[in-house]
Amino acid sequence: MTGPARLVRPRRVAEVSALLGGARPVAGGTDLLVQRRAGAPHHSLVDLTGLEDAPPPLRVTAGPSPSLVLSAVAPIAVVVDALDGRFPALADAAAFFASQQIRNRATIGGNLATGSPAADTVPPLLAAGAVVTIRGADGEREAPLEDFLLGPRAVDLRPAEWILAVTVPAPPAAGGYRKVGGRRALAISFLDLAWQWRADDGVLRDVRLAMGSVAPTVVRLRGAEAELEGRRVTPDVAHAAIAAVQADIHPIDDLRASAGYRRRCAAGLLREALGSIDARHPHPAASHTHLALPTTSTSCEHPTCPVSAGDIVA
Amino acid sequence: MRVNGQSVDLAAAADALGVKVDEVAGTRLLDVLRDGLGLTGAKEGCGMGECGSCTVLVDGRAVCSCLVLQGQVTDADVETVEGLADRGGADLQEAFVRRQAVQCGYCIPGVLMSCAALLERVPEPTDDDIRGALDGNLCRCTGYNRFHDAVHDVARGRCAGAS
Repeated sequence: MTGPARLVRPRRVAEVSALLGGARPVAGGTDLLVQRRAGAPHHSLVDLTGLEDAPPPLRVTAGPSPSLVLSAVAPIAVVVDALDGRFPALADAAAFFASQQIRNRATIGGNLATGSPAADTVPPLLAAGAVVTIRGADGEREAPLEDFLLGPRAVDLRPAEWILAVTVPAPPAAGGYRKVGGRRALAISFLDLAWQWRADDGVLRDVRLAMGSVAPTVVRLRGAEAELEGRRVTPDVAHAAIAAVQADIHPIDDLRASAGYRRRCAAGLLREALGSIDARHPHPAASHTHLALPTTSTSCEHPTCPVSAGDIVA
Repeated sequence: MRVNGQSVDLAAAADALGVKVDEVAGTRLLDVLRDGLGLTGAKEGCGMGECGSCTVLVDGRAVCSCLVLQGQVTDADVETVEGLADRGGADLQEAFVRRQAVQCGYCIPGVLMSCAALLERVPEPTDDDIRGALDGNLCRCTGYNRFHDAVHDVARGRCAGAS
């Protein structure tokens, strides 16, 4: 057994920051307690799961263009249940997030705070333009998620700060998520892709793509977005976007996959995302078939595609 | 904290654990259950949330008790396999026996709790529902088909009983 930690359990949001001097916040604990068992220093812990005035799992703001305010300290399973289909890309990511037991404890705040480029809730949140609400000793501040992510295991949290909520401008109905992992459950992503767009009579608008595990942080694929914005997805447009991805990403070799394999998969994931555009299915993300196992074909069939042939060393 | 419907004597648990009472809060729920309360149904497999053999229910949701600290569930209802029969799960246990869904048995307390949580939320689960509910439970001998058979049996039995 692991020795006991010193754990305090504040009841009020306003009490937390004062307790964080020298202590670490813990919510689901699904990452922190694993690190602790592996020999990480035994920090004192401040539990964020007993806050009586924490935000509800989901709040939908009033007005013509409502935002979704997601609790950062509620279990992901609870948040996704409350969303009830309102954010399909996040629901798809959650369906492939770890396991039922982990989804019942792990929080979005924890997934963001660990700063992992492989954190599975980040691509959908980044594609949706999420804003992080950070609580500190002097009150709240907000940071766009893209600015909040600084590097591997590095995020913009100052001493005594913690994540209270994440606000998502209402995402368009068309969005989804695909992940490549070693198996269906409990797999750290080799890479993953979230997308959202509006298809106006076949023309894509407000295209936003975010990919994980291909750079020091989860990244927007701005080159590929630019190739798609305002266009119909013809084979040539799809090809240009897929080729542009290669300049948007900077994958490395690591224990899970090689850089070359990730480049091929990146092309394959975007092609599959574009293949989900189908007028008969206005909600292409609604099915739960979005896990691509490594056996999925990832070579591009286009004759001039830079990632099609054997020039990628996998 | 209530475990299987009963309030827990934290002083006695601390004694059994060999820690001070105020250290129980920072002790893993799994250790409190097994070494503090003598409830050895939940097993430690990996100790890092990968295998699910320590699965218990916290307020009806399946969690890995190796990744929860006791102080995080002071207000909660914890259910372990020891309480399952008394809390309406005897039919699930009997179905596992009837379907021979047990071989070495190490994973079974966790598997049963995951299935019990599923059946509470989804009275007539599909195979996909069952797969999703068991995606955090590793079994390396019986395999999963008999778990599915047992869960379907229970769903049918409960629906027939309710009508």
